[in-house]
Amino acid sequence: MAADPFAAPRAANGRAPDVFRHGGWVPMREFSETEAVDFVVVGTGAGGGPLLAGLAEGGFSVVGFDAGPYFRPLEDFASDEREQEKLYWTDERIVDGANPITMGGKNSGKAVGGSTVHFAMVSLRFRPDWFKSRSVLGYGADWPLDWREMWDYYTKAEKALSISGPLRYPWGPKRPRYPYRAHELNGAAELLARGAEAMGLKWTPTPLATVSAPHGKSPPCVYRGFCRFGCSTNAKQSQLVTFIPRALRAGAEIRDLAMVGRIETGPDGRATGVHYHREGSWRFQKARNIVVAGYAIETPRLLLASATDKYPDGLANSSGLVGKNLMTQSNQAVFGVMEQEVRWNKGPPSLAITEHWNYDDRKDFAGGYCWMAQGPLPVEWVAVQTSSRGLWGLALREEMEKYNHQVGLKMVGEMLPDERNRVTLADEKDRYGLRVARVTYGWGDNDKALIQHALGQMQMSLEAVGATNIFRQEDDTNHLAGTARMGAVPATSVVSSDCRSWDIPNLWICDGSVFPTTGGVNPSLTITSIAMRTADRIRALAARGDL
Amino acid sequence: MTRNPAPLAISATALLGLTALALTLRPVVGTRVVRSRPPVHIRMIDPGAAIRAARRMNRAAGVIAAAVLADSSIEHYRGSFHNKAMIAPLVIASLSLAASVHGNADKRSTAHRVRDGIYAAAALTGLIGTCFHIFNIGKKSGGFSWQNLFYSAPIGAPAALILSGTMGFLAERVRDTTPGVAPIIAGVSAGRAVAAATSLGLLGTASEAALLHFRGAYHDPFMYLPVTIPPVTAALIGNAAFGRARERRPMTRFWLRFTALLGFAGSGFHAIGIARNMGGWRNWRQNLLNGPPLPAPPSFTGLALAGLAALGLMEDHPDD
Amino acid sequence: MTDRYPGYDVLARRWTESWNETTRQVIDQRLAVPREPRFFSATEWRTLSAVCDRIVPQPKDRPPVPLPAYVDQKMADGLLDGYRYAQMPPQGEAWQRGLAALDAAAKEAHGGPFHGLSAEQQDGLLRRMQQGNLIGKAWGGMPCKLFFEHRVLPDITHAYYAHPIAWNEIGFGGPASPRGYVRMGLDRRDPWEAVEAALGEGTDTRRKNNHGG
Repeated sequence: MAADPFAAPRAANGRAPDVFRHGGWVPMREFSETEAVDFVVVGTGAGGGPLLAGLAEGGFSVVGFDAGPYFRPLEDFASDEREQEKLYWTDERIVDGANPITMGGKNSGKAVGGSTVHFAMVSLRFRPDWFKSRSVLGYGADWPLDWREMWDYYTKAEKALSISGPLRYPWGPKRPRYPYRAHELNGAAELLARGAEAMGLKWTPTPLATVSAPHGKSPPCVYRGFCRFGCSTNAKQSQLVTFIPRALRAGAEIRDLAMVGRIETGPDGRATGVHYHREGSWRFQKARNIVVAGYAIETPRLLLASATDKYPDGLANSSGLVGKNLMTQSNQAVFGVMEQEVRWNKGPPSLAITEHWNYDDRKDFAGGYCWMAQGPLPVEWVAVQTSSRGLWGLALREEMEKYNHQVGLKMVGEMLPDERNRVTLADEKDRYGLRVARVTYGWGDNDKALIQHALGQMQMSLEAVGATNIFRQEDDTNHLAGTARMGAVPATSVVSSDCRSWDIPNLWICDGSVFPTTGGVNPSLTITSIAMRTADRIRALAARGDL
Repeated sequence: MTRNPAPLAISATALLGLTALALTLRPVVGTRVVRSRPPVHIRMIDPGAAIRAARRMNRAAGVIAAAVLADSSIEHYRGSFHNKAMIAPLVIASLSLAASVHGNADKRSTAHRVRDGIYAAAALTGLIGTCFHIFNIGKKSGGFSWQNLFYSAPIGAPAALILSGTMGFLAERVRDTTPGVAPIIAGVSAGRAVAAATSLGLLGTASEAALLHFRGAYHDPFMYLPVTIPPVTAALIGNAAFGRARERRPMTRFWLRFTALLGFAGSGFHAIGIARNMGGWRNWRQNLLNGPPLPAPPSFTGLALAGLAALGLMEDHPDD
Repeated sequence: MTDRYPGYDVLARRWTESWNETTRQVIDQRLAVPREPRFFSATEWRTLSAVCDRIVPQPKDRPPVPLPAYVDQKMADGLLDGYRYAQMPPQGEAWQRGLAALDAAAKEAHGGPFHGLSAEQQDGLLRRMQQGNLIGKAWGGMPCKLFFEHRVLPDITHAYYAHPIAWNEIGFGGPASPRGYVRMGLDRRDPWEAVEAALGEGTDTRRKNNHGG
């Protein structure tokens, strides 16, 4: 058996794990701590991964840091929910507010590859209007990005991630053909399709970041259904098996089990390097540029924790917005029981989707949502049953016995930015001695109206296919965004469209934190597209001496 | 790596080139043949020619029946025989295979009633199966969508059973000829009839492969072979069916033999594909069902054998 | 409750292509959970055991899933959830306080510790906790409703449904790597999946479940 990925760093001594070969290694360039590298990237997930690859391929010296371990999916991943919680950020964050957010596996990964190691692979494009939510749709904020440019980057991201998707996508402007064909629908997805058709709504097989035919060393998906607990076959196109190997090939270094605790800044106010904890001690890496890509909780946490006399409110925070405008997405669901056996755990959880209410504006609330088929495994399912219905005792066991007949529809819904929803630093310290993040959240009226509309629609869909014992999961959220928003002017944003912070020219932020709005779709493809664009922008800026 | 354009370009060029070649060859070859062909009324017709062709066609029908038997067994097992009728193709393909073995050994020049009945039943079963499969595609959510074409029961599979039954039935018609007389089927030269059926069969099978390889995103350049080679063969044997009479068609013969080999090579490629899936052959209980269908490609071999039988007929009876 | 999947045993598929070596080791460790408490005191353990028996009552005709042991393991090994409500203390402290407070409530309501009460009395107290109606100094400001929702229910029920016995009960396919699933459609089952017993088909189903895999 392979050594424990948590015991000691695997990316060391000039080599990193070859995730495609049992016990295999790939050569890895290593950089000196005392000589400044061109770029340090903190976080190796949906934002950090593509940036590491793009910068290394552009000839920059790059080191990627991740607090998490370097997994070997073929060897380390068991078919077991409890065991695989090792993929999540299980260190505690304090949650409060009117509607405290559930963290851990709902939105926070801790691994090389970030949350993409456990994500459900749903890879959707923004509705173009969302990039101008305020001026075109009248809510939220405008992005300083043009949808047409993003459309090209979406194509690049879809190609890099070998997305398996339908030949015709029912919504939005035309897009190039997905690299691989959509997967077969399972019973749960078929029920979404029937329900949607009964309601006169379009639906589609979901574009997924797992391959439906062999791709390089990735075999096609075996439909084992443990997707959100780590893909043990490498069919899933996480960062760990796509951009990170590319980055290594192009000369980047990865440091796993390396928790960056503080960004150091110099007397001129520029960033000089990062303090990180690895193998029991604090170390320092000098860098000419630092990119923070730790996602919407760890990114503001790090920026706030790096406060100095010159930056008493944390780095890049002249706007006061670092940590503010935290957004999650509503993830409520409706569940029912079918006479037929559904056995929804077979295959990826969301093989079919409808984005109807992302594109239909005949609503009396702002924003959009989609809903998708579901396939929770037993522990996740009992969590739903207990939290939504308060069931316990014999009644719980009796309800759980219906497992193979359950059907469900789950939404991903837009929540609006509100400065009161935020990440701050608590006084409590974690095991590295760093102040723990406090995550404060409350739903707004618009959020609640959107949720109720979605629940009503999803319930209608289940009723249309003949489900019984229907119940609603009224409280659930998932993906995060917003805590270092992108904007056109420094007063109301933290970074520019290039993901460069206004205050510190060599400090960049490239993850979901930069989203001014969340949209009604899963964010990973947009994060990856922004990261690919940022890599290009950095190369262009460097070429004309503006770095 | 998804769509590598190079093999497509090469294959397309090859296809165009060979078609052009086939067309230009005709006057040259034909001229030569015309010059050397003896006058019709003197030409001797080999009394065993019809039996030879019939037995070839029994073999062709048998190869396709074997492919259909193996393929429908695996696929209907995958479908859990949820409809009792799904046992039908296994039964009839077995009978068709048995009839073909029997016919191959049979040197008499009369049609065999039982074999006839079996082959006719096979063709009919194939037709019913094709209708079932078409209906299945339409009744799923999304109707006649790409998604359902990809993942519903394939139309080409029962259609292969039609071909097997048809070839077998035609074999009996060819056999049922006075020795020395040119076989006729429905008023048309048997050679041309079989050639036409072969051409259509090859095009249909190539379309099925094209659909499923498209579903596989042509992830491997070799997946272009069954969609480029058989159409060339279909053009050539189709030209034989509908074109001018000629004594020798070496190009057509070559392409038919190549196609026959391709059928077996296809199973080899599919075995590689199964090995490439997660768990490889050890996970055969999944990969034999989920992976590329192992017994499907030899349908091309069976069709090519029928085409060679047709060529033989036309060469033995060149006035037709 | 009738046995919906008679004869089905996920563990019987241990050496098939549905399990890999890592999974075997993990499940072995799961089954070998220490049965003696390492975190809870003897009193706390007694109360915890009684709570587990009410939250997930288990049938007497098969070996029980040792739920208190799994809760104790989570506390002893410090396996965290990734978040904590601001009004809640850390998980170990929450459990200790909650168990003591429950015993105090039991004494106040029925004159004895929780583990000595009847099942109805125990259920009644747990329901009051779920509704937020247990108050007192012993809670130390920790809302009993949050303790019930975020410690009692998840720590106990997740432990149950992370166990092969529970997977058998609900007919869950269990581990699946490298072999996943072929037949994903409605009313379709791979031979290595659990067969559900229709009315009157118990013996036949048992035979099918024994030969699957």
